[in-house]
Amino acid sequence: MSMAPSPRVALFVTCLVDAMRPRVGFAALRALADAGCEVVVPEAQTCCGQPALNSGDRATATDFARRNVAMLESYAAIVVPSGSCAGTIRCHYPELLADDPEWAGRAEAVAAKTWEILAYLDARGWRPEGVALPATATYHDSCSGLRELGIKAQPRRLLGAVDGLALVPLSGEETCCGFGGTFCVKYPAISNAIADEKAAAVEATGAGLLLAGDLGCLMNMAGKLHRRGGQVRAFHTIEVLAGMADGPAIGEAQ
Amino acid sequence: MSARDAILARLGPTRDPAVLAAEAACLLAGEERERPAGPEDLVARFLAQLALPSVAATHARIESLAELPGALADYLASEGAAPALWLPPDARVAGLDWVRLTRLADCPIDDGTVLAFARAGVAETGSLVFETSPEAPMLPHFLALRHIVVLEVAGLVRWLEDAAPGGTVPRAHYWVTGVSGTTDIEGTYVRGAHGPRFLHVVVVGS
Amino acid sequence: MSRAFDARVDAALADRQLKIAVERTAGTAEAKRGAAIGAWPSFAAARERAAAIKDHVIANLGSYLVQFEAAATASGATVHWAATADEACAIVVDICRKAGAKSVARSKSMLGEEIGLPHALEAAGIGRVETDLAEHIIQLAGERPSHIIWPAMHKTREQVSELFHARHREPHVEESIVAMAASARRQLRGEMLSADVGISGANFLIADSGQVCTVTNEGNAELSLVPPRVHIVTAGLEKLVPSMDHAVHLLRLLARSATGAALTQYTTFYAGPKRAGDRDGPEEMHIVLVDNGRSAMRDEGLAEMLRCIRCGACMNHCVVFRQIGGHAYGGTYPGPMGSVLTPALDGLAASRDLPGACTMNGKCQEVCPVAIPLPTLLRGWREKSWREGLEPVTLRQGLGLWAWAARRPWLYRAGVRWAIRAMRLAGRGWISKLPLAGGWTGGRDLPAPAAESFMDRYRKGER
Repeated sequence: MSMAPSPRVALFVTCLVDAMRPRVGFAALRALADAGCEVVVPEAQTCCGQPALNSGDRATATDFARRNVAMLESYAAIVVPSGSCAGTIRCHYPELLADDPEWAGRAEAVAAKTWEILAYLDARGWRPEGVALPATATYHDSCSGLRELGIKAQPRRLLGAVDGLALVPLSGEETCCGFGGTFCVKYPAISNAIADEKAAAVEATGAGLLLAGDLGCLMNMAGKLHRRGGQVRAFHTIEVLAGMADGPAIGEAQ
Repeated sequence: MSARDAILARLGPTRDPAVLAAEAACLLAGEERERPAGPEDLVARFLAQLALPSVAATHARIESLAELPGALADYLASEGAAPALWLPPDARVAGLDWVRLTRLADCPIDDGTVLAFARAGVAETGSLVFETSPEAPMLPHFLALRHIVVLEVAGLVRWLEDAAPGGTVPRAHYWVTGVSGTTDIEGTYVRGAHGPRFLHVVVVGS
Repeated sequence: MSRAFDARVDAALADRQLKIAVERTAGTAEAKRGAAIGAWPSFAAARERAAAIKDHVIANLGSYLVQFEAAATASGATVHWAATADEACAIVVDICRKAGAKSVARSKSMLGEEIGLPHALEAAGIGRVETDLAEHIIQLAGERPSHIIWPAMHKTREQVSELFHARHREPHVEESIVAMAASARRQLRGEMLSADVGISGANFLIADSGQVCTVTNEGNAELSLVPPRVHIVTAGLEKLVPSMDHAVHLLRLLARSATGAALTQYTTFYAGPKRAGDRDGPEEMHIVLVDNGRSAMRDEGLAEMLRCIRCGACMNHCVVFRQIGGHAYGGTYPGPMGSVLTPALDGLAASRDLPGACTMNGKCQEVCPVAIPLPTLLRGWREKSWREGLEPVTLRQGLGLWAWAARRPWLYRAGVRWAIRAMRLAGRGWISKLPLAGGWTGGRDLPAPAAESFMDRYRKGER
C-alpha cells in the first residue's frame, strides 16, 4: 500500500466515546496504526465544546476552542471519530475565534488539519485488509459529517473492502435521526417522534446491522430500535473497519 | 417624521442610480450559463414543455391564420365542447370565416371557451406571454373553463428573459404556463381551480 | 421549554390526522423539488448568484426603494410607506373606506398574515373573501395558515370535505379532491368577481420599472385583482429586485424549490391602474411598502434572512416541521425560516423555543434557494437568548458545572468515573429508566457505558 510517511496524529476521542463506548476509541487507534500513523492521545482532552456552542453559550464555547487549539496545534493531523465534533473544530472554531487576532490564524490552522476519521482513512488510501463480517448492514449519514464535512462516499468505500459485508440503502439515509445533541433531551417528544421514523426506516431495510459515524446518533437510533423491540444491532463504522464488530454492539453489556 | 423618512433614514444614504445599475448588471454576468437545460429547437422544446404534467396544455399547428376557425371547430368537436367561443377585440379575428362557430357576445364567466392571442411564447418553460391593451383585456383568460391561445411561431423566444416587451411598461405583463391548478388539498394536483381547466395552444406557421 | 410551546407540540404530536396531512403534502413537495433540482446541473451556482442579488439589494435597500417608488408612481400607482404592522393595516383600511368598500378579495399573502390584515379588515367591518383555495379553507375553519405555500397543509381531505359540506352553498357530492376543488370554485366565483377591492402581496417589486410581480398556480390573484375598482399591494421591503431579469433568475429558483415546476402557472407583472381604452383593470392601484422590523433585521445580524423568497422548501425538508406541523411554532411563519423570523417579529422572550427546537442538521440550508445560513442564524438567536438570561436556570447551571469540570481534565475524569458508576447501577446493557435522564429514557433505551472510560484505560496502557 502506498502511503505518506507516518504522520504524528492526535486522536481526539470525544467525550461521548470516552465515557460511553471506549471501544470506538480503541478501534480508531487500531485502524490509524494500521494506516501507518503514529497516534498520540493528548492527555488534556475532554470535550470539543459543542454542548456550549449549541446552547448559545458562546463565551464558554470560545474558551473550549482556545484550549483545544492550543492542545492540538502541534500535531500533523487531528483525527476525530465523530462528524459533529470534527465539524465543530473544523467549521466552528475559526468562526468563534475569527475576531481574535491572536487566535484566528491558529484556529484556522488547526481546522485545516482536523479530520473525521473515516474521511481521513479514506484520504490516506487505507482500506481494511483481512477484515471479514458476513452480515447485511445499512448506513445512516449523520448530518454534521454529511453537510459540514461532505462525508458520504468515504464510509461506503471503506466498508466496501470488508469481506462478506453487504450494504443495503436506507430510505431517508440523509434525514436527521432526531439526536441533535442537547436537543434530544430538551425537546424529547419531538426527538422521539423523529427517531421513531428513523427506526422504522432502519427496520424496513431488513438489515441486521446499523452503521454510522457518530456515536450520539447511533445511541439515539439504537436506543429507539431497542425500545421498539427490534433486533437490529448498531456499531460505529470504525469498529467494523478495525475488525471489532465481533464484540458487543451498542447497548449489549460491554 | 413620516414613515417614509424614518425608513429611509434607517437604511442610510441613497446611491447614484447609474452606479447601482452597473453593479446590478454585473450580478447577472454569465447568468445564462446557469439556466436549466437550454432549448436546442425552439418549437420542439416549447411543445414539449406544453405537454408536461405541470403545464398540461394541448396544441395544434396550422400554417396560416385563415385555418384558425376550422382548427378551433375541430378541437372543440374533438373535446365534445360546444362550438361556441368568445373572441377578443383584436383586428386579427375580423377577417376570418367563423361560420362553424358561434361567437359569444359576452365572455363566459365560469365555463365556455375564450380565445386569446399571445405576443410571445417561451421555449424554456412553455409560457405564453401577454400584455394588456384596449385590444387585449386580461380577465377573460382567467374566467373561462377552456383557454385557447394563438401563437405565431415567429413569436417564440428562447428564455423567459427574452419575453419582456420593449418600450413602455404595460399595465399588466403576464405569463401563462398551464391551466389554473391547485395542490392545496393534500398536495394533490387538481386542474381548473379558479380559472381554465383546459389550455389549448394553436401554433401558427412553421 | 416554555409551557405554551410544550403544549402546542404535545397537541401536534398527538394529532395523527395532522401527521398524515403534513406527510402527504410536504412529502410530495420534497419529491417534486428533488426531481426538479436534480435535473438542474447548475443549481448550486444559480443559488449563489441569487444570494448575491438579494444581498446587493438588501445592502442598497434605500436606493432601490426610492427608485421603485418613482417608477411605480410614474405608472400611476400610489406608493405608501408603513414602518409598522399597525401603520400598514391602517393605510389599507383607510384606502378601503375611501373606496366605500363593502368587501375585499384577498389573494394569499404571508405579509398580510404577518401584519394582521385579516383581523384589521374584520375589525373595520369590511367583508373579506380569501381566494386562494387553502386560505379559503382556513378562513372557513377560522384558523391561521400552517405553511407559507400550503396554508391548509394541516388538513386532511376528509377534514376539508367536512368543512365544505358544512359551509358551502352547493357542496360536492362525490368524495374526491377534484369535486371539493369544484365546490370551492362555485362558492368563490361570485364573491371574487363582485369585490370592491382586491388585496395582494408581492413576490417581487421591480425597482427599475415599478412593476409588482405576483405568482400563483390557481390564477386567483388575477381574478381577485383585475375586477375590483381598487388594487392594494402590501409588500415587505425585501421584495425588491433591480430589474425584471433579476426577478427571472429568482423565479426559476422559487418555482422549483416550492413545487418542483419550472414556473408557476400564472406569473403577472402589474404596473399601475387601468389605462385609456383598457376594458378591465382597477381604477386605482396602491402599493404599501412595509418595514415591520426589516430594516432593523438588516442591521442586527439578520440581513441574510432578508434574502428569503418564501418558497417553503426549508420547512418541507425539516424533520421538526414534519413532526409538529406549522401551528405549533406559534408565529406567522413556521419551520426553519419562521424560527429565525418569529423572534425578530414577536420578540425572543416569547419565542426562544423556536431556535432551540432544531437539531442543527443543516438540511434547511442545503435546500434553500438563496443559501440562507439558517442554522447559523438560529444559533445566533440561541446566543442572544443565553446572553439575555432567557435560558432556564437548570440548563445554565448544568452547563456551567460541566464546563467548569471540563476545563480541569483530572476533575473531569473523576466526574466521568462517577457518572459511569451511577449509570451502571441502573444496568449493564440497555437501561430503560434512569433518574434525571427521563428526557432520554422516556422514549428510547440508553446503552450503559463500559466499566471504565477510554482515557482511563488508555492511561493504563491499553491499546
